[in-house]
Formats: sequence, structure tokens, C-alpha cells
Amino acid sequence: MRGTVALGPYLTGAIIISKTTLDSKLARVYVETFIMTVTTEPEALLSHLYKADGSATYSHAGYTVIGAVNGPIEAQKRDELPEEAIVDVIVRPAAGVGGTRERHLESLLQSTLRQVILVNSFPRTLIQIILQITVTPENEYINGKLVQANVNLPVLPALLQTAILSLLSASLPMAATLTSTSLAIIQEDGRPHIVTNPTARQVEQSKSFHVLAFTSQNELILAESEGAFTLKEWDDIYGAAYRKCCTTASIGDTDTLMDEGTTGADLKRFTRSIIEQKTASDLHWK
Amino acid sequence: MAVQADRVFVLPGDEVPAALIPSHPKKALKLGPGLRHVPPSELIPTVAGQLATDHKKNSIWVEYNGGRYIPAVGDLVICSVQRSGPDYYYVTITDYTPNAILPQLAFEMATKKTRPQLNHGALVYARVCLANRHMDPELECVSPTTGKADGLGPLVGGMLYDISLGMSRRLLMRKSVEEGKVAVLDELGSAGLAFETAVGRNGKLWVNSESVKTVLIVGRAVKETDENHLNVEQQKKLVRKLVKEMN
Repeated sequence: MRGTVALGPYLTGAIIISKTTLDSKLARVYVETFIMTVTTEPEALLSHLYKADGSATYSHAGYTVIGAVNGPIEAQKRDELPEEAIVDVIVRPAAGVGGTRERHLESLLQSTLRQVILVNSFPRTLIQIILQITVTPENEYINGKLVQANVNLPVLPALLQTAILSLLSASLPMAATLTSTSLAIIQEDGRPHIVTNPTARQVEQSKSFHVLAFTSQNELILAESEGAFTLKEWDDIYGAAYRKCCTTASIGDTDTLMDEGTTGADLKRFTRSIIEQKTASDLHWK
Repeated sequence: MAVQADRVFVLPGDEVPAALIPSHPKKALKLGPGLRHVPPSELIPTVAGQLATDHKKNSIWVEYNGGRYIPAVGDLVICSVQRSGPDYYYVTITDYTPNAILPQLAFEMATKKTRPQLNHGALVYARVCLANRHMDPELECVSPTTGKADGLGPLVGGMLYDISLGMSRRLLMRKSVEEGKVAVLDELGSAGLAFETAVGRNGKLWVNSESVKTVLIVGRAVKETDENHLNVEQQKKLVRKLVKEMN
């Protein structure tokens, strides 16, 4: 017997699953109780904007972002670089016009992505990446007070993932792909506790909040942190993010691991499978 | 051509299985699009796609569809004239990219006095003869060795359709029906329609015919084949339907 609790589409929360097993030999009923973290699987749609060179919509952990990539296109004379392409990232918020918060995100994305894209292949050109946030997690209320993420970072993993999927859809040459996740350290029963993909409320309560991104070669490429934490805590965060973003399994035996109830989604495998599906349907004639 | 067993999917930065790299005793290994050689001996894919190899030519490349066309020497493209300079026509191959140049004397039998007059918007079927990341691409409409046009030159009349890069590659294959699995043009021809087409590697299809109806039907048939990933059977069905609608 298995009981599941329905959660809102974007909520991450703890649910209790009771498993009742009947042991026939001893004629005893065991009731096991687990606490499991439930994260909705990431979802993506590729190349759905036909005017753009590449596009993707990605939703995970309450955020939905539409990305469009154009490039390599002509750069303005005053902007162009003689030896490499300019990577221009534009982030548009779900509501209102962008401000300093978006500029901060853009600068983080720009410096990350230009290390992955082979910018030297297209000197004096422009690669334009537009990211429109369409859905943010529903606001949570505590004692009638609205809790909103007052930091910029929680949306960063979704933006990075969307940008990478759009770039793959645009077939722009890259050195590697990226996976990114967010983590928070929350004090629980006097002990620090790491939560991946925290909700707005958890971010609010957390001691520190971190966003890490890894390349497909399992190298750390982006690490942004907010709040107070010790070096030891950061090491734990790094370990947790590494397990989330980088699979040690080789390509061949991905299916076997899938069944073992790995917590949450394996982002690297997700990116691979979604692009593989797209390529297979594009090359159906082969 | 490509062996069926090597349908290996790669992402940028993946490892290319060493067993798949063709090894020819004499010929040098040729790398096609989507692969990068990192000295001394590493091969790294730069785009997502399927690895394809040709053991006869000792070549390996990544097959993919989509993105923006990047000019490569020898490709046939359909470009539109932007403006004319003293010696060159400035033409666009893809939108929002710097103009390519087409020398006014790079046409069959062209001399200073008999060069073609092309205005803004005129379409030209041309071959890329210089493509280099640091320079604007250069085109020609004449074979430099024989001096013949070989079908290249201004495209008069007709209509231009946008198709995906993968589709244009399939249409340009020497055996487009067997290898590319596009039978739609052959079917339309055998259904009694008279038309001419030109396929540009930059994702353009030009169709011309005496009757406007035929132009529209051919363009629609190819675009539908492309967008809906139709197989040969479905293409035949589509053509039958379109021809029936026309009459």
C-alpha cells in the first residue's frame, strides 16, 4: 500500500509514504515510514520558436524560462571584438522591466557561457541569448506576510539550463555542456541541513544559499554564495551539488541507475535524453 | 554510406569512441562539421548530434539539423542582392549577418560590358568560393576551371521558401531519394507537374513554374515534408492529396 500526497505543481516538499508489507512467514505486518523529498522532474521543449536560430523552454523547481539564441550574427561596430564573438545575454523578468537584479544575473551568465561557447570560432560577431522568465514559484505566506525571494540567485540554475538547451538547439559550437543547481543550508534541530532546490520560504529561513554549476567534464564553472557559512559547510555543499549535477555513471548503464529511486532529477542525464530525442526526430531519415 | 551500427549520439565535450574513428592506412583522417581536433590526438564534438563516418573517404563528422548556416567553401547557396558596388554585388546569405561579396565578373561569359544587371532583392544561385572566419564570404556563379555556369546564376521569377538546413542537405544529396529519403520532388514530377527548383545549402528553396498553382504546391509539399518529418510513404500520400486538390 502506498499513500502519496498531492502537492502543487511546483512545490518541493516532504511527504510521508507508508509502506505496509505483509510478511507471510511471521504473519506480521510491518509498517515502514520514509520521509522523501519530492521534486518535480525538469521539463523542456526544444526549437519551438521558429524565427530564432535556437530556442528552448525549461521548467524546473517552480521556474519556467523561455530562451532564444541567435548567432553568429553581425555585431555593432563599436562592440565587436577582433578575435572572438561577443556573448550577449538578456534576462527579462516575469513581470515589469529588468533592473539591476537582471543586470547582475546577466553578467553572471555571460561570464559563464562565454567560457563554454567556442567564441574564437566566430570573431567579430555576436551571439545573442535572450531569456524570458515566465513562471516563478508561487509566493508563500507566513502569518499573512508575503515571502518573496529577496535575493537574485534562486532563478540562476533555471536560466543557465535554459541557455544551454537553447545553445544546443542552435547548434552553436561549444566545448562542453553545463548543469546547475541551487542549494541552501537550513538549521534544523540545531544541526545544519542541506536542501537542494529550496523553495522561497526555505531560502528565507536558510543560513546560506548557493548556486553551483558544473561542466559536462565535471569541473566547477560557477559558484555563487550568499549568507554566512564555514569552509566545511561549503565543502559539503560542493559535494551535494556534485552528486546532483555530475553523474559518475557512464553512458551505457544509465537505465539501471534510474530505477534505484535516485532523489530528484539527474540533470546531466535529463539534458542528454532531451537532446537525444530531438536529434533522433530531426534525423529520422537516416 | 554511413554504417548503421554507428548511430552514436554525442553532446559537446563528449568522448568519441576510439573504435568509431575510421583508420585508413594511407589517407589522412578528414574531420567534418561538428568536430574539433585538440592536439595531439583528441577528437571532441562541438555540437549535439549523431556521429557519422565514411570509411572509404576516411572521414568522420557529426550529423545535426538546425541552427544558423555557416558558409563553407563549395556549398551552393541562394542569396539575395543587397546593393551593387563598382566591382561587386553585396549579397546576404542569411539574415542579420555581414554581406557576402559576389564579383560582377564571376558570371558565365561576363565582361565589363556584358555583366548581368542585378537590382536590390534579386536572387542569385551561387557557390561559396571563400569562407573564412576572419573575412566576409566570397561567392561565384561560374566554375573557375571550365568557365561554365553549371546552372548557377541569377534566378528569375519563381518563389523562395525557407526550409531547415537538414532538409536542404537532404535535397542536395546526389541520391536524395535513397539516402536522404525525400521523394516528394520526384513524386510531384511524375504526377505531371512541370517546375524547376534550386536548393541552397543556407536553408532556401527556390521554385519556378509556368503556373503559379504548381509553384505553391511544390513549395507547400516540401515545407510540409520538412516540418512534419514525413517518411517516403507519407510524402507520396501528401503529393497525391495535393494534386487531387489542385484539379
